[in-house]
Amino acid sequence: MEMLHHRDCRNFAPVDVAKGICHRTKNMVPADGDRCEECVATPKCRGCRNFTADAKRVELGVCEASTATPKFFAYPDMVALTCEMFREQ
Amino acid sequence: MPKKLKEVLADAGVSMDFEVGGHAPKNLVDREVKKEAHPRVQKLRDIFMQTLSSANNEFPYWYTREYFQHDNEIPVVRRAMALKAAFSHTTPVIFPGELLVMHKAPFFRGSFPMPWLSEGFYMAKEDELYQDALKRGSTSVDEHSKFGQGGGNVVKSFGKVVSIAGKFGMRQEEIPGLLEVARMWVGKSVDDLGHKYETMVPGYETKEAIMRNIVCMFDSGYTLPQGREVINYYYPLHLGFDGIINLAKEMKAKVAGRADGDGLTGMNRLYNYEAVILATEGLQAWVRNYAKEARRLESIEKEAVQKAEYKGIAERLEWLEHNPPRTFIEAFQMIETMHLAVLNEDAISGMSPGRIGQVLFPWFDQDIKAGRITEDEVIELLELDRVVKTSIDCFASMGVVGGVLSGNTFNTVSCAGLQKNGNHACNRLEYLLLEAGIRNVMPQSTLAVIYDEKLPEDYLLLAMECIKTGGGYPAFMNNQVAMEFLKHHYGPEGMDIEDARAWAIGGCLETSGCTWKPITLNATTYWIPGGAGQPTSVGVHFISMPKILELTLWDGVDQRTGERVFKAHGKKLATFDELFDQFKLYWQEAVHVLDLTNNIQHDIWRKNNMAVINSYMKPDCLDKGHLINELGYRYNATYNVESAGTITTINSMAALKKIVYDDKKVSLDEYRTALKDNFGFKTAKEVNSFSLADQEKREDGPGKWDKLHFMALQAPKYGNDDKYVDNILLDWENFFCKDCYNYESLNAKPLYACQISVSTHGAMGSATIATADGRLAGTTFADASLSAFPGTDRNGPYALLNSAAIWDHSMSQNSQLNIKIHPSAIQGDEGARKLLDLTQAYMRKGGFHVQYNIVDSKVLKDAQKNPQNYRDLMVRVAGFTQYWVEIGKPVQDELIARTEYEGV
Repeated sequence: MEMLHHRDCRNFAPVDVAKGICHRTKNMVPADGDRCEECVATPKCRGCRNFTADAKRVELGVCEASTATPKFFAYPDMVALTCEMFREQ
Repeated sequence: MPKKLKEVLADAGVSMDFEVGGHAPKNLVDREVKKEAHPRVQKLRDIFMQTLSSANNEFPYWYTREYFQHDNEIPVVRRAMALKAAFSHTTPVIFPGELLVMHKAPFFRGSFPMPWLSEGFYMAKEDELYQDALKRGSTSVDEHSKFGQGGGNVVKSFGKVVSIAGKFGMRQEEIPGLLEVARMWVGKSVDDLGHKYETMVPGYETKEAIMRNIVCMFDSGYTLPQGREVINYYYPLHLGFDGIINLAKEMKAKVAGRADGDGLTGMNRLYNYEAVILATEGLQAWVRNYAKEARRLESIEKEAVQKAEYKGIAERLEWLEHNPPRTFIEAFQMIETMHLAVLNEDAISGMSPGRIGQVLFPWFDQDIKAGRITEDEVIELLELDRVVKTSIDCFASMGVVGGVLSGNTFNTVSCAGLQKNGNHACNRLEYLLLEAGIRNVMPQSTLAVIYDEKLPEDYLLLAMECIKTGGGYPAFMNNQVAMEFLKHHYGPEGMDIEDARAWAIGGCLETSGCTWKPITLNATTYWIPGGAGQPTSVGVHFISMPKILELTLWDGVDQRTGERVFKAHGKKLATFDELFDQFKLYWQEAVHVLDLTNNIQHDIWRKNNMAVINSYMKPDCLDKGHLINELGYRYNATYNVESAGTITTINSMAALKKIVYDDKKVSLDEYRTALKDNFGFKTAKEVNSFSLADQEKREDGPGKWDKLHFMALQAPKYGNDDKYVDNILLDWENFFCKDCYNYESLNAKPLYACQISVSTHGAMGSATIATADGRLAGTTFADASLSAFPGTDRNGPYALLNSAAIWDHSMSQNSQLNIKIHPSAIQGDEGARKLLDLTQAYMRKGGFHVQYNIVDSKVLKDAQKNPQNYRDLMVRVAGFTQYWVEIGKPVQDELIARTEYEGV
């Protein structure tokens, strides 16, 4: 799974949209800063087998686990930590 | 150089730096009382100080996804299903050092939009939906609302962060999803559906004109449909989540298929109880997710103390997922959880915790006696609660959050008052609440002392010490005046003297009906107070009195926009009585149409978007099986009419009476021309500022209006114990408070008067031309409802109190008086005693509310120039305290200009 930044890490506690606290180091780190070696991936839709990216709009996709008709949308960056339908790729 | 307003005022003897009772020292004087918070609290406060208001799309996504899957379900059940899905999927986030955990959204200061209420305002400007919203009057106010440019406000987009409404930051990655969700609510939100039906109200075009011209500040039903009320924590504390679910299941069995004499709503009880169960299950999942996160953090934490704290958090949450609390810290965690839950259920500003010193007392009492906790540990938790409450944001439009609320969410804690049996309620925990307020000075929870002659003197003196921190709290509210109001207004719904004693402040200073419930803990029974009424500040939101006067003077036409708002009255206004009578008629026309349209908005809200969680927590919903939408609350006569700009209007009336009608110095036509010409000053637009201090005279020859402007400034002013002007206030109050009873809410109850300004005196002032009292176009009105206009109260504080107390405050839900005092004026024990004497004098005269800004005006000026040095400076704006750097400049200017008392 693509994971480049602190904000994609499970140990990143987001203080706000721009920064957060690393639970490992207790330091404030920028959300978009490069991840470290100890990074643990936070589950997000883009890493889920049930997520299909929209061919036309890369920022959106479809949740194939949705039981709605048509299937409900999803977006790649959405945190899926509490999603019971998340299936890691 | 063009003359500034400040110089013109000084020429007229109305200095903007006006000092009464002496002169302030030349050096900057800091506040007298300063204490340190616990180290843990300081660390978390430091994080808060660096935190940006942040929003994400998680809650709206899951809510919407679930909601649209159940389009044939009973509305209340459908809503509960959506809430359950949203709470169940909210990502838990816990920060090192926290003891009281859980957050609205997964940020330290997080929130999220609720497109089911209103979806238009946060759409991109080029978006077609936004363009449609622009055509509606309700968006006009956004253009006149300014946030402060510092603190946690995300005023501009940066990097991958998008600024929404000049306040909230949202990740760029979330925006497409947000817009996708928002589009699903087009035509279905409370805003859109309400709009569809309110257009059917006769005279609707007047309502639109009222909103476009900012005669009224904002609609009520889809902006902040709840709030300004007191929450009730009783059922979660008494039964726990499993207990609530079990009770609802038992009740379902009792009511299923039965009307029980109520052919209209009796059958609904089954669905309501089902909704209670679903929503509570969502809360359990939310708590469970946090417990799991605490366990995970425990597992990876290497530092022993922090590891043990995560373990403690996990254990508490695992217990509270099912059971009622056993200890003080568990009870505290439960009320934090429920508070945030209710704030996530709906867009709410002013969900007051109420009298938590009495609500939490049973666990405090028993833990202290058993040695399970120390007073110092209790103070630390109370300090932490101030971080939690200050971090609460409400996601709404700029006009609402900036123009009205200055970013505050008004989680006011009420202190003291009386017990059910009539004795004072100053238990030991009440003292510690004040102590925590002294040690951790943050805007929330602001504190409100329910003042009664029975309160002990040492408690009152501790409150004075708290005021000296400059935190802007506690405010003082008059218990007897409030109880008189409550008994009169809620008497028809059965309020007795005991329930009247349970009241607390909802929002900043809204008197709210409450009740008592018994908690039995280890065989000891305690009576705890909690909210029992509907939101107390919904209905007709903030009508600008100066604007109504402007429309009266110009036959119904707004002079800023040139648009007709009311039908022409065609009167010559030949006498003062004719002027005042017409003013009242326009006022009534505005209230009438706003009442009808807001009733429709709230009716749409209660049909599709009703409260479930907040509702079932309040007596007597669980007993009756009816939620708020079916008048399950004990007290339902809570809709009101809010006024703004009272004193600016009264002063203007006095000036017109004196100069035009009594002394006949100038004709009304000439006066009108002067007002239209802004007394020879440039317009606020020309100087590119709505601030008082920035206004400049035009350089086009000798001042044509100098003499009249001078007379206007010299005319009798409220705040000086001058009956000439104070009797106009008396006349207005006697009319206004009684007139509210002529209108009917959607609950078929009469309205009442609510007299708070919040920050509307800034935003509404910016949309109003010059007023007859000498105030210039675009500048702020006098703040609150009974504060003097800056620099015009010249006879000392007791004269101001006499003016304020000329009318019977028990006719209104509230009144509001703010006084600015230099720190040196109340130094030491003697100063504290004088401040208490002043406060008690006002309470004994029948004043409802007084609050003090203890600050050196020079500090405020320096803070305006050097905001980077004043991130933690707080000021009392109206009924609330806010960080200086998060307030817009017009209101900052008005705060600087307020009369500074050098002695009391």
